Amino acid sequence: MNYYLGVDVGSVSTDIVVIDDSETVVDKLYLKTAGRPVDAIKSGMALLKQHLGDIPISGVGTTGSGRQLADVVVGADVVKNEITSHGIAALKYCPKAKTVFEIGGQDSKIIILRDGIIVDFAMNTVCAAGTGSFLDRQASRMNIPIEEFGDRTLKSSMAVRIAGRCAVFAESDMIHKQQLGYSQDDIINGLCDALVRNYLSNVGKGKEILPPIVFQGGVAANKGMKAAFERELGYEIYVPAYYDVMGAIGAAMMAKTESGRKKSTNFYGFDMVDFDYTTKSFECSGCFNMCEIVEIYVNGNIGARWGGRCGKWSTGKNVAL
Amino acid sequence: MKIGIPKGLFYFKYYPLWKTFFEKLDCGVVTSPTNRKVLDSGVKLCADEACLPVKIYHGHVDSLNGKVDAIFIPRIVSIMKHEYTCPKFLGLPEMIKNSIKVTSRIIDTTVNLRGQHGDLFDFAMETGSIVTKDRYAIMNAFRDGLHEQHEFEKRLKECGDFESALKKDHDRNIPRPEKIAILGHPYVIYDSYINMDIAKKIQREGYSIITPQMIEDDIIRKYASKLPKRHFWTLGRENLGAGLSLLKCTDVKGIIYLSSFCCGIDSLMEDYLERQVARSSNMPYMKLVLDEHTGEAGFNTRLEAFLDMVRWREQNESNVSTHG
Repeated sequence: MNYYLGVDVGSVSTDIVVIDDSETVVDKLYLKTAGRPVDAIKSGMALLKQHLGDIPISGVGTTGSGRQLADVVVGADVVKNEITSHGIAALKYCPKAKTVFEIGGQDSKIIILRDGIIVDFAMNTVCAAGTGSFLDRQASRMNIPIEEFGDRTLKSSMAVRIAGRCAVFAESDMIHKQQLGYSQDDIINGLCDALVRNYLSNVGKGKEILPPIVFQGGVAANKGMKAAFERELGYEIYVPAYYDVMGAIGAAMMAKTESGRKKSTNFYGFDMVDFDYTTKSFECSGCFNMCEIVEIYVNGNIGARWGGRCGKWSTGKNVAL
Repeated sequence: MKIGIPKGLFYFKYYPLWKTFFEKLDCGVVTSPTNRKVLDSGVKLCADEACLPVKIYHGHVDSLNGKVDAIFIPRIVSIMKHEYTCPKFLGLPEMIKNSIKVTSRIIDTTVNLRGQHGDLFDFAMETGSIVTKDRYAIMNAFRDGLHEQHEFEKRLKECGDFESALKKDHDRNIPRPEKIAILGHPYVIYDSYINMDIAKKIQREGYSIITPQMIEDDIIRKYASKLPKRHFWTLGRENLGAGLSLLKCTDVKGIIYLSSFCCGIDSLMEDYLERQVARSSNMPYMKLVLDEHTGEAGFNTRLEAFLDMVRWREQNESNVSTHG
């Protein structure tokens, strides 16, 4: 049996999955990135080794905003953007999918699929209102564990109207409503409505949203959000079983295809959990651009370098584009 | 006399004209490179609501300030009959004077070709007279400038790269059969600092690029006139006409619209174009909004995904490239 690893390093969570030849998920991890992506990957890999032993990994795919870093840390065969990864994974679990909503920690995306290929997509531009970080913040402000946050809406009888365009306005609106005495459940329910409105008019603007619709990303755990989407659109929303690690699954699937083609892998092996990774950054003074260069050392040797505009500092891993 | 020309906004349209004009009048012409220092000082000095290119322009004025005898900040009201430029250009010299203590002289002559009597030679005379009393020399310098400008535009039409077109030894766009269009205001699509060198990134992926300045004016005009109402922003019209004309080109595989955050003209024209593209074609289309971020991750992710999509749609099968 061959196994394939998918690593999705996002702003809030670092997800790692192992799939086998039949693309069945053998193990999955959902860890907090906690601002230290390298440590998150390392501890995830150590956990995997504990769970599965030193199984043979035949291919590795990385994705997410930290995909290049993940490549340096584990050694990847495929380094892919998260839109393609999410699209591919959604099609695996719902081959007829026409629309994918993906809401993660800092990003929200919509992917439009037709006949099994991505034909259009959009990501949030300047505003992160309605993404996981904002829900996280509201949950901790209201002193409710984030895991229970969505379930609270099920107890609600009505949705309080909350301003959803801007996270700052939404928060002050929520506080005003709370001070007027509305129940927490109704406020959370209203928040979900507001975020869905914001998502559809912002990220989903001008897109043809057709069922079947797949809802994935960390926020899909929130039952209130799912229900709010269903109320707003009038379609049933499908949340796949592995909704929180779909990006990693997509990356692992691409790794399987790629390593099958080239019959080898760049994976460093599970030994990498004992590797020593350090990063250093400096401002290049070579010209007026004053680029911020980051260097990543693996066991004291330079593993990768990026951040420069001119190419003077790009060595090792090819991170151009 | 040493004249500073800030490297922003209409620099990316008319620099060859201005440079030649001043040089023929025996002035030295100085520009400053766009870099983080310029960006930082621009953001600090400029009114908060302005778009990124206007802020960068402020940064350039600041970096030239005091180092030259005069800074050329023309008030470009209109460059086409019955049309306007962006409102921020109309008040650019005033904006600068309000935000920056400029110790060099400011040359803020007005270009206004909107009405019946608008004349470029009036503008040239007024500007030139600051340097010399010789009307004949001004006339000649301006004629030479227009000639240079014309030659430059011809080169730009071939290569779509501002820097290469500026140098006369421009190498043509490596001819690739498949093209990706980059739309947007010239000072966004040709400023590789603002746009994170998007043209190079696209070319590296095996496409050549096409920009509005590479499309014939009459074609742009023809397609832009399909709008129910004649509209009056020159740059907006150019982008719209260019975008609509590209929908008919089978060698164009996708359109990327580069917009700077809070651009008023784009908020209407880009949106209109996006709807038209979605309604009347299958063309892959993406808008990228730029602001002062220097982290390229978000930008690259969208660009990679877009090119993936373009390729995927072309092949209509599930094997995608492994890097990017």
